[in-house]
Amino acid sequence: MDFESIEEQDGIRFSWNVFPASRLDATRTVVPVSCLYTPLKEREDLPPIYYEPVTCKAPCKAILNPYCQIDVRGKLWICPFCLQRNAFPPHYKDISNTNLPAELLPKYTTIEYTLPRGAQVPPIFLFVVDTCLEDEDLKAMKDSLVVSLSLLPPHALVGLITFGTMTQVHELGYSECPKSYVFRGTKEYTSKQIQDMLGLAAPAIRSQIARPGQQASTQNIGANRFLLPIQQCEFTLTSILEQLQRDPWSVDNDKRPRRCTGVAMSVGIGLMESTYPNTGCRVMLFCGGPATEGPGMVVGIELKEPIRSHHDIERDNIKYYKRSVKFYDALAKRAATNGHIIDIFAGCLDQVGLLEMKSMVNSTGGFMILSDSFTTAIFKQSFQRVFNKDAQGNLQMAYNATLDVQTTRELRVCGLIGHAISANKKSPSVAETEIGIANTSAWKTCGITPKTTSAIYFEVVAQHGQPLPPNSRGLIQFVTHYQHSSGQFRLRVTTVARNFAEGSSPLIAQSFDQEAAAVLMARIAVFKAELEDGPDVLRWLDKMLIRLCQKFADYRKDDPTSFRLSDNFSIYPQFMFHLRRSQFLQVFNNSPDETAFYRHVLNREDVNNSLIMIQPTLMSYSMDAQPTPVLLDSVSIKPDVILLLDTFFHILIFHGETVAQWRKTGYQNQPGYENFAELLAAPKADSEELLADRFPIPRYIVCDQHGSQARFLLSKLNPSTTHISGGYNVQGQAIFTDDVSLQVFMEHLKKLSVNGPS
Amino acid sequence: APYDPMHQTYTPAAPQFFTPAAANTLGTPMSAYSQAYVQPAVAPAPNVAGMANQFGQMNMTGQHSSPLIPVHLIGTQPDVNALNAPPPPINLPPNASVTTSDYANCDPSYKRCTLNAIPATSSLLNKSRLPFALVITPYRSLKEGDDTVPVVTDTVIARCRRCRTYINPFVNFVDGGQRWQCNLCYLLNEVPNQFDWDIHANNKADRWKRSEINYAVVEFVAPTEYMVRPPQPPVYVFVIDVSYPAVQSGAVATAARTILESLDRLPNEDNRTKIAIITVDVALHFYSIPSSSSEPQMLVVSDLDDVFLPQPDDLLVNLFEARDALESLLRRLGDMFKNTQVVGNALGPALLAAYKLISPIGGKITVIQSSLPNVNPGALKPREDPKALGTPKESQLLQPADSFYKTFAVDCSRVQISVDMFLLGSQYSDVATLSSCPRYIGGQTYFYPAFNASRSEDALKFAHEFAEYLASPIGLEAVVRVRASKGIRLNAFHGNFFIRQTDLLGLPTVSRDHSYVIEMAIEENLTNPFACFQTALLHTTCYGERRIRVLTLCLPVTNSMSELFASADQIAIASYLANKAVESSLTAKLEDAREKLTNKTIDILGAYKSQLTSTQSGASPQLQICDNLKLLPLLSLALLKHVGLRQSSQIPTDLRAYAMCLLRTMPSQLLIPYLYPCFYSLHNMPPEVGTYGPDGIIMPLSMNLTIEKLERHGCYMLEDGQNIFIWFGREVSPQLCIDLLGVASYDAIRGGKNTLPVLETDFSQKINAIIGKTRESRRGIYYPQLYIVKEDGDPALRLWFLSHIIEDRTDTVMSYYQWLALLKDKVNAGSF
Ligand SMILES: [Zn+2]
Ligand SMILES: [Zn+2]
Repeated sequence: MDFESIEEQDGIRFSWNVFPASRLDATRTVVPVSCLYTPLKEREDLPPIYYEPVTCKAPCKAILNPYCQIDVRGKLWICPFCLQRNAFPPHYKDISNTNLPAELLPKYTTIEYTLPRGAQVPPIFLFVVDTCLEDEDLKAMKDSLVVSLSLLPPHALVGLITFGTMTQVHELGYSECPKSYVFRGTKEYTSKQIQDMLGLAAPAIRSQIARPGQQASTQNIGANRFLLPIQQCEFTLTSILEQLQRDPWSVDNDKRPRRCTGVAMSVGIGLMESTYPNTGCRVMLFCGGPATEGPGMVVGIELKEPIRSHHDIERDNIKYYKRSVKFYDALAKRAATNGHIIDIFAGCLDQVGLLEMKSMVNSTGGFMILSDSFTTAIFKQSFQRVFNKDAQGNLQMAYNATLDVQTTRELRVCGLIGHAISANKKSPSVAETEIGIANTSAWKTCGITPKTTSAIYFEVVAQHGQPLPPNSRGLIQFVTHYQHSSGQFRLRVTTVARNFAEGSSPLIAQSFDQEAAAVLMARIAVFKAELEDGPDVLRWLDKMLIRLCQKFADYRKDDPTSFRLSDNFSIYPQFMFHLRRSQFLQVFNNSPDETAFYRHVLNREDVNNSLIMIQPTLMSYSMDAQPTPVLLDSVSIKPDVILLLDTFFHILIFHGETVAQWRKTGYQNQPGYENFAELLAAPKADSEELLADRFPIPRYIVCDQHGSQARFLLSKLNPSTTHISGGYNVQGQAIFTDDVSLQVFMEHLKKLSVNGPS
Repeated sequence: APYDPMHQTYTPAAPQFFTPAAANTLGTPMSAYSQAYVQPAVAPAPNVAGMANQFGQMNMTGQHSSPLIPVHLIGTQPDVNALNAPPPPINLPPNASVTTSDYANCDPSYKRCTLNAIPATSSLLNKSRLPFALVITPYRSLKEGDDTVPVVTDTVIARCRRCRTYINPFVNFVDGGQRWQCNLCYLLNEVPNQFDWDIHANNKADRWKRSEINYAVVEFVAPTEYMVRPPQPPVYVFVIDVSYPAVQSGAVATAARTILESLDRLPNEDNRTKIAIITVDVALHFYSIPSSSSEPQMLVVSDLDDVFLPQPDDLLVNLFEARDALESLLRRLGDMFKNTQVVGNALGPALLAAYKLISPIGGKITVIQSSLPNVNPGALKPREDPKALGTPKESQLLQPADSFYKTFAVDCSRVQISVDMFLLGSQYSDVATLSSCPRYIGGQTYFYPAFNASRSEDALKFAHEFAEYLASPIGLEAVVRVRASKGIRLNAFHGNFFIRQTDLLGLPTVSRDHSYVIEMAIEENLTNPFACFQTALLHTTCYGERRIRVLTLCLPVTNSMSELFASADQIAIASYLANKAVESSLTAKLEDAREKLTNKTIDILGAYKSQLTSTQSGASPQLQICDNLKLLPLLSLALLKHVGLRQSSQIPTDLRAYAMCLLRTMPSQLLIPYLYPCFYSLHNMPPEVGTYGPDGIIMPLSMNLTIEKLERHGCYMLEDGQNIFIWFGREVSPQLCIDLLGVASYDAIRGGKNTLPVLETDFSQKINAIIGKTRESRRGIYYPQLYIVKEDGDPALRLWFLSHIIEDRTDTVMSYYQWLALLKDKVNAGSF
């Protein structure tokens, strides 16, 4: 089965492409019926459609699609989801079997409607900018912001909030002088208070003051004082940004700066929700350190008090954590409810509180960029990529998106794991089983890009022993409604059908997409890890893997040597092995902020990128061979090769001992050593290619064997040779670890699989 | 040879500084004495022993007491030009002063006593029923030609070890000049060596040349012991109302323009002066005025729950360093809010913000307020109640509606902040409440009812007064202590200040020309021939010098009722009565104040009758008083009829409250015309009036304020220091109209607020000269507004004019003759 061409057409990959026919069968197949769906997957070949879709009667509202039965003579169609008959609307009167509208053509199982009504308001960009920065950092950030103004569509509305000890909302529409509204950094303001304090409510003017016939001037009332078209306020905004100074309140040597990130965000979100609810908007937070004051603070002002670590969280030794998370979760919910997107750009060597703030990004489909400083390429280039444009010159981002999922009656939707919040839609498609964001068949996803990929999980409803009619299939319709950055509202509809098969049928096993399944299971594991203890999650993963192998491997009971997996299952255990070892589940080597960041990225990427994160790719370059992918294993380290590691987050070029020596000697610059120069250049060129469309920009590391930076590589490799096992092994490099190797893992897996009840 | 003061011969210098002053002008230190002196005393230099001798020679007018000259009040029109007469002479015993200086005793413009002879016993005082109080104006302004206050710069300050009195012309040198005897507590103190030996020049010094020995009003440069911290710079925070009414009336633009134009006039000799501007509607707008840029920045704080400063720096800036940005801000300020629709004002929070901003230094908060604050703290309601006016309930309206402003003032006084209020409301402004803030911290309230800058007269008046206010030098971080000779107790203090300790008045800033009244009592019989009163004003000048201004007044002590009466100062008594009346109005009721005032007048007249006339307790058809108190009944009546106290149901509370602010702070030079306006007949002036004489413009003689003076063809001017009225009789000659106004006839005259044209005619020039002189000769910043009143014109304006005609019966209040008859009856009926 060609999963990738399906993915090309519909942006979708299922764990199983033939569905088990009953609930029990589905349970036995271990990996749930589920898919990774990329609603805005770029499709060059979609027909332009500028009309409203034809929908089934309420409450079904399913959209006409190639799986509908149509009666061209009766001008009727039957909805496959609710089986109701619907008359075609009058303008479909000329429909015939040879004259079908695009949405009924089999090749358009995915189709996009450009709806006739456009957005009232152009996209809005509200910058929320930390000023508690070192001068160099502040300058770099200001420069990036100024550049970004030229990347925005000229009609886009922009606003600026700066914060440090206090929060300032800049009134860009005021012409007399720079003007801003200042909010205390220590106080939690309600939305109503923010509205009043910014003067967004109708002014309290006595009626007799307005002279008859004179319309009260609306020019300086309301949102257009703070949010203006970029073409109108570019000069003002640029000069404010250029004048922007470091937070003027003094900071003692033993203290952190007072930074009221929480108030700044609540003011920003309050401003947006009272001025432009349900409108495409990005609130872009730039923060250079943790919030130390007010609601949402993540650490105290005293430097001697360290910021919380995973260990602190595990030991429940966290002073501000719960209150802070609660605060940001509430903000996230308000923003998402209004369709507003929140991005966080962190530029700080230390943590900024992403752990606490992550829901603001994750619930709204925002971007999260973690960098050591705003001077880094990671920040600068990633930020620039946010404004990437498509061939038509539109920003590659969509706003205010919702995703609706509808299933035929044999299936129900358990939930979604990805960047979204529940839209609380209680439809017949909602399953009892909960996975991820559950109890709904619709979600607000707010910000989506052509890459945004959600994991959606289903359950099979039919009871065992109630055979389905032959060739019966389950249908799922995904409807994504969004505001395109051109200002149009669009509707992307994907309708997929998959056959059902009896639990014993080999068709099911043959339809297994182990890559998609690994990613789908990874998302569940990460989702669980947010709520449960780490070891429990690992045990759950192991149990699921063993059960999967028990069900689908070929073996004789109690004979591990007989254990065989078919091709389309064969590398699944390896994915699980690496997933177990990955930063997604082994958090203690990272800061809580890093964990939040890694998990954020995993939850938005498609299958291929997610697999790179789970099991990084390793290429080997040597003088005498073409570059080849090699095992992510310590045996791949050799003195005379260059390795190129791609973990998605890091791109690392590793020079084996000998290569490193040659390089240091400078052979590559000497005539006669062109080969060597080419060898050095090849991984660089390949890494450039990897970097080209990667978002966020990965950290780029060039290191030599035994150099300190090499640890980034070693931590990813399968420790087939450790300091314990492989002291005498000539091949590869010993890795100092107590982790089990893939080989040991596989031995255990085989043993446990063949021993268990079949 | 070592310096030996024992063998030093003291040679007081002949007072070179004396020149005979022009008679009859108040305001120069000489005026009180100029008539008393036969000729300047240029005595040969005596030694200490010869001093008594010398005093014998300079015995004032050659007698020990003023004669009691009885006058009959009934049937005589009061001599109103006597209001300008000097107080009764101070007849000191011959040895009172160690110096021959003519400046040895205090000029009444700085300090005067209701009694220029002090009763030796409290029973004498009580029997006389005369008030015993000091009226001090320690920081009076100096007009051109006025003597400046001499300054002692060597920081040698001789003070009594016990009572801390400063050495002054009325001490005694004893022990061959080695020691001096305090004239308040009589302790002997060492004379500092530096009095006779200049340690800098290392040679002999002449103690007789020292200013503190020669001048009753003197200023010492204070050494560091007198400082709790280095002298602070002058600090001005302007809190400007920018709500809709403020912008519409033009108050914001006028205020901003005036500040801008006054930047060079603000006290800033050494470029230390600091400025901040806060504008306020329902939010506070701070301005960041960085010295590094010419671009000001507005920072709006709408969260008024617990006021905070939006940034730590650049809000209060050095005027010199941040001049560019400040000017740029002031230039824009008038337009910044031109589109505002915001009604509402948060003065209370703005004051708290200003406090936060300057409390580390102290300084002045100047409020330009055009609407009634309606945001807490300090929110006020329009509580004017026309039905309550003229009833006992009226006093409630005169009391502060909210204690915030007083409480705030008390906080300010602790950190050396004072507040001045400029109220420019077009509607009810609650002057009563808002003025309670300046009252406790040495500030002042200025009121411009129905201000509208589109009327050029309004704009001019406010701009002129505000500019003068800004240009006035201010004293900072001041305290005033008043000391009196042993046996005399200070009882009560009236004026705008905060009482720190029983006799220490706190003044965060000293306002020019503010007057304070201090009531006193005789605690023990006074046995010395004279008594002294010393006021010390410790303050920081606006150019950063810590100084002590010392005013010493020495008065003879008397056992004679006759002398007591003969030396009573009716002008000082009027100041005292005005303060007492305001106090009773605010603590009790207006009618109580009027009753007390009436009774006090009766008491004085009664005491005079029973003690000093042959009639004593019998009924008399006449009412007698001594010549020096002959205007007391008139001044009492003027007070009773004054807008601040008059029985009436027509006086808006704001006007009353404002009048009370003035009554309790005005120096007598302003107070007397404010009570009894000057009234001139213009159409029949002698030819020299209005032309330049030897003392400047020759002013017309004042007339009695009675309607019988008004002729139908006449033209009159009436002015009380706050307003100038020009009255035109119905049959005024057309030529006068042409000459003065450039209009053809009476009918063409436009009544109301106006500016006199300056025409080429002789008459126009003269009248403009008289008005100009009137405006410039008064102390204080006031720029009287001119009204043209037509005999049959706007009735309200006409009534207002006529309300000043206080010798006639007006409304419900009796005429001067009825008043005298009432006084006579009460005096006849009572026992004293
Ligand atoms: Zn349907
Ligand atoms: Zn003494």
